[in-house]
Amino acid sequence: MSTKRRNQRSLPGGFPRQVLQWAAVAILVIIALLVPTFLESYGLHVMIIAFWYAVLSSSWSLLAGYAGQFSFAHVAFTAIGAYTTGMLGMHFDWPPLVGIVSGVLMAGVVGLAIGALVLRFKPAYLALFTIAFSEILRLLIRGEPQLTRGDHGLRLDPLLRLDVTSRVPHYYIMLAILVGCLFLMHWLVSSRIGLFLRAIREDEEAAAARGVDVVRYKVFAFAITSMIAGLAGAFYGHYTTILSPNMLVLTQMGLVMSMAIIGGVENLIAAAFGGILIQVGLELLREFGPWRLVIFGALLMIMLRFARNGLLTPLFRLLFDHGPQAEMQEGTGAAAEEAAPVAEEVTADGA
Amino acid sequence: MDYLLSISTTGVIMGIIYALMALGLTLIYSILGIVNFAHGEFYMLGGYAAYLGLSALPGLHPLLIVPLAGLAGVLLGLIFELLFLRPIHQDRIDRPAEYAILVTFGLSFFFINLMLASLGPYPRRPPSFFSGTVDVGLMKISGDRLTASGFSLALVATLLVIINKTWIGKALRAVSQDKQAAAVVGIDALTMNSVAFAVGAGLAAVAGALLAPSFSVTPDVGAQPSIRSYIIIVLGGMGSIKGSILGGLIIGLVESLATGYFPDPTRALKYKTAFGLVIFMLVLLLRPRGLFGRKEE
Repeated sequence: MSTKRRNQRSLPGGFPRQVLQWAAVAILVIIALLVPTFLESYGLHVMIIAFWYAVLSSSWSLLAGYAGQFSFAHVAFTAIGAYTTGMLGMHFDWPPLVGIVSGVLMAGVVGLAIGALVLRFKPAYLALFTIAFSEILRLLIRGEPQLTRGDHGLRLDPLLRLDVTSRVPHYYIMLAILVGCLFLMHWLVSSRIGLFLRAIREDEEAAAARGVDVVRYKVFAFAITSMIAGLAGAFYGHYTTILSPNMLVLTQMGLVMSMAIIGGVENLIAAAFGGILIQVGLELLREFGPWRLVIFGALLMIMLRFARNGLLTPLFRLLFDHGPQAEMQEGTGAAAEEAAPVAEEVTADGA
Repeated sequence: MDYLLSISTTGVIMGIIYALMALGLTLIYSILGIVNFAHGEFYMLGGYAAYLGLSALPGLHPLLIVPLAGLAGVLLGLIFELLFLRPIHQDRIDRPAEYAILVTFGLSFFFINLMLASLGPYPRRPPSFFSGTVDVGLMKISGDRLTASGFSLALVATLLVIINKTWIGKALRAVSQDKQAAAVVGIDALTMNSVAFAVGAGLAAVAGALLAPSFSVTPDVGAQPSIRSYIIIVLGGMGSIKGSILGGLIIGLVESLATGYFPDPTRALKYKTAFGLVIFMLVLLLRPRGLFGRKEE
């Protein structure tokens, strides 16, 4: 994989490709802005939920694909964001906006704590720990109905006291959240932080030896992706105006993971598109009922086995000859890259 | 005192069944070095196999379907292992640890939705093994659960004999201790991988078939037993057979005692799994190698 990356970097030219990329982004944003003119209410609802999934799958891909932490608690953090604002609204009558900010902060604080706890875990332990965390949270929400309304469902105020049926403002808000989060994450992964995260993913000890503050960046990645999930969840809560502990079942996490993996877990944009396309695809294939998810499950396994880069990443590469790694030109980047193949051999033996 | 004794007995009875399921997970972990995140779904499929088998053959004694359900689990496990896990050990996958987590989780997603699509979300319950209840101190235990526990005990004992006394058991232990050395003496690690995964999946399916008459089966029924098995193997020490048996008994007791003594009985049942989860997180944080785990290299 790292050899592939190196080949790309050595390809000549960079300027026209960048223009092409930005042009593509601009076209997509314009299309997204125009969507409400040709979609009716239900279609917009599908798009809003698709954007929500896209935020989750792309932020999970930052955590898993870039930082190498395959957490199963990502959906739990979206629930933390949603339930925080919901409970503040129910018990203290806090307005949705303040609630959403509190939800994001709460997800960040819990993410910081969990991120610090799982820091030294091997992948299997990390997966087990985050499943346990997610499951405890679900049991707590179900078990304390006087706080969370449990299985009856927690009612939330609609955002900005908007009419629930008016989809257009919600559509634009969710689009803004998605685009904003993607820009933030793209900036992160193309900065030095992203470089450090990939170095840590490839070989933690080698990265530490080269002076990367492993603890700080791993915990940071966990906290920031948790906050993004929390933001998406808090908005989702005020949009749907009802929450239930079912949003935390592990198959939800499975869906988010399949979106990221089928899109391409090592590319934020591909993961986001994976989320949108799969959610829209699930809607279009509604007549097939639950068999849709069976097909996605099978597709997920086949992708994992034969196409680790997902379906969309190779397509993007074809179009733009571009991976998120394309910007790696700094000296440290080269150093981390050189270290990577060695590291891979070592882990292949040891793991 | 009587109350304590009866609660403990029910705990042990459940604990043996938990141990059976955890043993399958341990077998897989100690040979293949991966956690099977679809373990609960093999449990679920075992339950469905019992239900479907008994609807197809109404004359059969319900207990006789259990080995058949186990066999179905073995076959499914074998197919999955050959298709998706064998490539890991042929060095055809990069980042094998993450791949193993994701692909087994993908399998669980697939199985859950497969059963949801084909049989729907409704609970299915195969007929009882034996109707009636048995008094244990102050509590009544159903004949079904007692049968399930007895069957599990026999199966655990058989497994221990196989692992400790037979050639194949010796080969399995050799591979779990040192793959290279095992290869030197002519043990094919790839075969042992398939055997371990198939048997592990089969044990989960047996546990599912055994408990199906007591708890009935739904497509998402596997989540609780699989999480419980993760707790048990981490508590007992990943890869330790002794640890997973003892861990199963401990978790059975803890669930039963904590539920029995929790101040608010309506909430106690909802938190049944949570008690084990708290132990789990503590073990992971304070003593990650569990009771009998090998020291981390």
